[in-house]
This record gives sequence, C-alpha cells and structure tokens, in this order.
Amino acid sequence: MELDEFRTSVDEWLAAHADELAPEHAGHGTMDQQMAQLNKVKRLTFDAGWGRWGWPERVGGLGGSTLLRAYLGEAVCSRSLVEPGLYSMTEFLAPTMIGYGTPELAATMVPPLLRGDETWCQGFSEPGTGSNLASLACRATRTDDGWTVTGQKVWTSLAQFSQRCVLLTRTGTPKSAHRGLTALFVDMDTPGITIRPIVAMHGTEEFCEVFFDDVLVPFDRTLGEEGQGWAVAMDLLPFERSTALWQKAAHLHLRLQELLQAAPSGALDPGRVGEVTQLLYAFRARSRATQHRMAAGERLGPETSIDKVLVASTEQAVYDLVSEGLASEVVLGDDPVSAGWRAEFLYSRAATIYGGSAEIQRNIIARRLLDLGSEA
Amino acid sequence: MDSADLELFERSLRHATERHTGSELDAALTELGWSEALLEDRRAAVSILFELQGRANATSSAVCTLLTTTPGADAVLPALGSCTPPGELNGDRVAVRGLAVGLRGAELLVVARKGDKDVVVAVPATELTARPVEGVDPELGLAEITGTGAAVEVGPADWSASVATCQLALGHELVGASRRMLELAREHALERIQFGRPIAAFQAVRHRLAETLVAIETADAMLDGAWLDQSPQSAAMAKAVAGRGARTASRHCQQVLAGIGFTTEHPLHRYIRRVLVLDELFGSARTLTKDLGTELLRTRKLPPLLPL
Repeated sequence: MELDEFRTSVDEWLAAHADELAPEHAGHGTMDQQMAQLNKVKRLTFDAGWGRWGWPERVGGLGGSTLLRAYLGEAVCSRSLVEPGLYSMTEFLAPTMIGYGTPELAATMVPPLLRGDETWCQGFSEPGTGSNLASLACRATRTDDGWTVTGQKVWTSLAQFSQRCVLLTRTGTPKSAHRGLTALFVDMDTPGITIRPIVAMHGTEEFCEVFFDDVLVPFDRTLGEEGQGWAVAMDLLPFERSTALWQKAAHLHLRLQELLQAAPSGALDPGRVGEVTQLLYAFRARSRATQHRMAAGERLGPETSIDKVLVASTEQAVYDLVSEGLASEVVLGDDPVSAGWRAEFLYSRAATIYGGSAEIQRNIIARRLLDLGSEA
Repeated sequence: MDSADLELFERSLRHATERHTGSELDAALTELGWSEALLEDRRAAVSILFELQGRANATSSAVCTLLTTTPGADAVLPALGSCTPPGELNGDRVAVRGLAVGLRGAELLVVARKGDKDVVVAVPATELTARPVEGVDPELGLAEITGTGAAVEVGPADWSASVATCQLALGHELVGASRRMLELAREHALERIQFGRPIAAFQAVRHRLAETLVAIETADAMLDGAWLDQSPQSAAMAKAVAGRGARTASRHCQQVLAGIGFTTEHPLHRYIRRVLVLDELFGSARTLTKDLGTELLRTRKLPPLLPL
C-alpha cells in the first residue's frame, strides 16, 4: 500500500462513514466520553483495515510504511474525531511492546490496543521522581512466583481506563540509579493495585495516582532484560516526544483556522497571527521530516527533544492566541464550544511539563546534541 | 545530483567560501560551474552555497543570478526592507531604487514594473547613481542604486518566483551564519573557566545555547518545508523564521561570548552585522510576519499544511 493510495482511500472511507464516526458529545466532552469516542474510532478504523496499516504483521498489523499510520492519525485528528493527546499513547506504547516484549506477548497484547478494546498506561513518574527519572523508587522484588511490586506512581495518564501498564520499577539497589531499573508489563486488575484519579486544571481526570501493594507480576511480563529498564525508557521517550505528536499539527491547524473564523474583527494582532502561523508550519515541517526518518528505519534519539520543544511552544502559542482572540469565550463562556476552547487553552499549559519538561529537553539538547559536557 | 556528486559539490563550495569572498568568490563559483548546477538541481545549488556562504561570512553575487536568472549579471536587489521590483518603467526610461552587491560590469539588470507586468531591463551603470554603502556591515560591499536611466527591455520577469528563491537563499545564509555563531559560542563556553569550571557547566548558559539550536533547526525545517511546498508564501515564512532565528542566535551567542564577543578581536561581530543586513533584504522577519498575519486576517483562511 502506497501513501497516496492510502490517503485517498482513508479520506473516502472517513467521508462515507462520517455519521458513524462522529462523537456523540458536543464540545470537549468528559473523560469518559472522550475515551469512548477514541475506542470507537480505533475499533472502526481497525475493523476496516486502516488502523492496521503501518504496524508489523506479527502484531496484527498489515505491514507497510509507518507513514500510513501517521496519515491515519492526522486524518482522524484533523476531523476532530479524537483528541490528539489521547490518540498519541498507542504511538509510543505499542512500539515499546514490539521492541521489548517477547514475540508471543507482543502478538497477543498489541492487537486489542490497536483496536481500542484495551487502553494502556505508562507508569514512569513518582511523587519523588519527576524530571530525575533515574531516581525512581517503585520496587520490584524477585520471588519464586514472579516479581512483587510495591510503590507509587503519579501523573499516570488514563490509568483508570487501562487494562495494562508499562511500568518502570527499581530492581537494583536504591542507589543503582539508571542501571538498576526494569520495565514490567502489568495487568491493571491484579490484586494490590489502587487507582486514584486526579482532577486536572482543565476539568478532567486525565491522570491518576497509582498505588502498588505487593502486586505479583509474572517473569514473562518483563520487557527486555532485568536491569534494562533505562534502555526501554530511552527508546520509548523519543517516540513520545516526536512521532506520537505528529497529528498535533493537523489538530492545531484546524483550531487555528476555526479561531481565524470565529475571532471578532480587531481582536487579533496581525503580527502575532503571522508568527504563530509560521511556528505551526515550521513544526509541521520538522515533524514531517522525523516521520520520514522513522519510516526509513532510522533510530530516533535525543534530537527528538527539538521536536518536543517545538510542539510545546507551538501548542502554547496557538492557545495564547485563542485566549486573545476569543477572550470572552475562554473567560466567560459556559456553552460547550466555549468550554472546549477553555479546556484546550488550559491543557496547553501542560505541554511544557509532560513528557519531560521544557527544561529537561533543553538539558538533553545541551548535553547530547551540543556536547557541552556535564552540568555544574 | 546523486549523493557522491553532492558531497563533492559541497566540498568544493566549502573550500571556495572559506578561502574567497566578493569577486574572487564569484570567479571561483564560475570555475566550479555553480550556475550550471543551478539548472540541474536548483535546491541543492542554492541551499548548499548559501548556507556555506553564511557560515564563512563570505559574499558573492550569486543572489543576483537568482534574481534575473542571468549568470554573472549585476542585478539590482529591492530597496532595504522591500519586496517590490526596484524599477519602474516609463516608456524607454526606468526609475531605479534598490541595492547592488559587488558592482562589476558596465550594465545593470533591473526588474521593473511595466503597467501590471514585470520585465527585466538593462541600464548603463553610468546613468545611475551608485553610493557605496559602509553601514553596519562594510564587508558586504553593498551599493545603494538610485536614479533614472535609458532602459533596454531584455525579457519578461517572474518577480514573485525570483523573490521566493532569493528568500530561500537568504534563509539558508542566515541559518549558516547562525550555525557558525553557535559554534563560536559553544567553543568559548567550553574553554572559558569561571568559578573553577567551564561556563558551559552552568544551566543558564546551556539553555541559551540549546535555545539557539532549537531556533536554527526550526528555521532549517521551515526551509525544507518551503522547498517541498514551492509556494511563495512558504518561502516568505521560511525567510521570516530564519531571520527571527538568526536574531535569537545573535542575542544568545553574544551574551555567552560576553566581553570578547563585543570586540572586533573576535569574529562574532561580523556575523551579527551580516545578520542585521540579511534579515532586512527581501522582507524582514517583522514585516513578512505582519504581512502574513494581515493577509490571513483578510482572507480568514490558512494555507494548507505540507502533506506527509
């Protein structure tokens, strides 16, 4: 399947099934509504075959270039069928399973994720471990029956909806830093797991605290080898910071277009409109080049921190403009459309925080891309 | 050009831009066959030469070749900050207001408005006034061209396409200059010791340099997108992003280089001067951005995104 043919066929199919695919809720919707919509779109696109292209055949895909699945993500986000941040999670969790799970585990687990029958979450951050990921303390201990996990995670997006979790644990000594980490694939219905959703500033329970109390995880659920957790994380994060965010450009393009049409005359400053537009098109060009590098089989690494800085600044710039051009909607509006603008504006504030803060990205750029040596 | 050809081409151009500038660089480009390469692979010829020229702080009349597609001609560039043709044709006389780089010949080529069309005309250099510009960047060898002279029509002009190519060329030159400034600041940050350690160890310094690399790669990506997209609007966006990025690079790199970067004993000042001029040629970051925004607010319609 070639990209051009795929593009045309997907566009035709989306148009023909527009009614079936459309969300049942107006505006931003609740978390439950957004998740139901995401899973519906994943199921319909998977069953029609489109959602399987660009994924390896051994995990239920139909093969072909990764550009195919990138196009599908862009197509559903630019039609406001799914929320691009929620859609992005498959784009970094599935490759981790494909890269580090046993072939049998990957073949069993990935198809339900692609089809929207399952949701997965990523258990990295902890109360005492934010930017300094290598300091994490959630402990996995070897027992005769498997790993026993005890500890706490936080900011775990979609944990309350998830059947599985890619969990980073400490298996080495407390001081073993990045050398003593192991990644596990955990069933979220295992006894001993407690999930407490947190209401975020934009009004939805997107992320959670997750408590692990003697949670048994079989050894065959180890992703990679014992002690290889840092490598798993370092391979996951470049996807989370770049290719998974590709469809953001299409979504931001749609919202900026809507803003241009909705903003009252004189509410937007021409210089600001021009600058935000340029930033969006530059982000798109950078993101496109990264997609083509991945499709060509290149290994993505620290250079994706530039993609991440760019997507975060673009998203915030677009919504800063929204807050200027649609001030009364964002500040006073209580109808679903205004609430949608407001929720997206507020959510954009987190773009420089999640997935590695803006400061951490600059640290990576300084250390790994500019080779400035270690910090004072 | 295939990858081996490109590598050889780039190596030769690097050699030429590092050793020559002005008319000597023009001669070297003729010898290297840059104009022929331009016909064969426009993007490679433009992007490679101008980035290297920016890096080396060299100057050539290559931008004139892009403006009138006549190799070796002395073509008049638009006036500072402007994107409109430098000439206005009235019968057989042309009124000219623009800039020239490295005047050599007895004749100037000027793109001139003729009613609602644009044409290329030839004007004897002696009929116009050329004021050699010292300005902020004396080494660039600019001259301000004004006056009215006898015009001989040479052919039609596709002004908007020429402007787009020149904007891309200058965008690459700005990126090249920015990359060199970042290298200079990086070297200094690693060598300069304060509080017992290289200043590169301090996060405030590291983040300025990281910010500079982001600005450069953003401009580079936008240039790449504009070459793929081929629209005049994308070329203008790329020039604006490169101009803004180069100003960001100037600011951060000069701050990191601090005292020495403010002297004429260090090469940084040459790049800062060059960037100030390049940003103003064929539309500055500020004016191109404002024009884009004004146009978008008029049509209320964004251009399509670059396809995957």
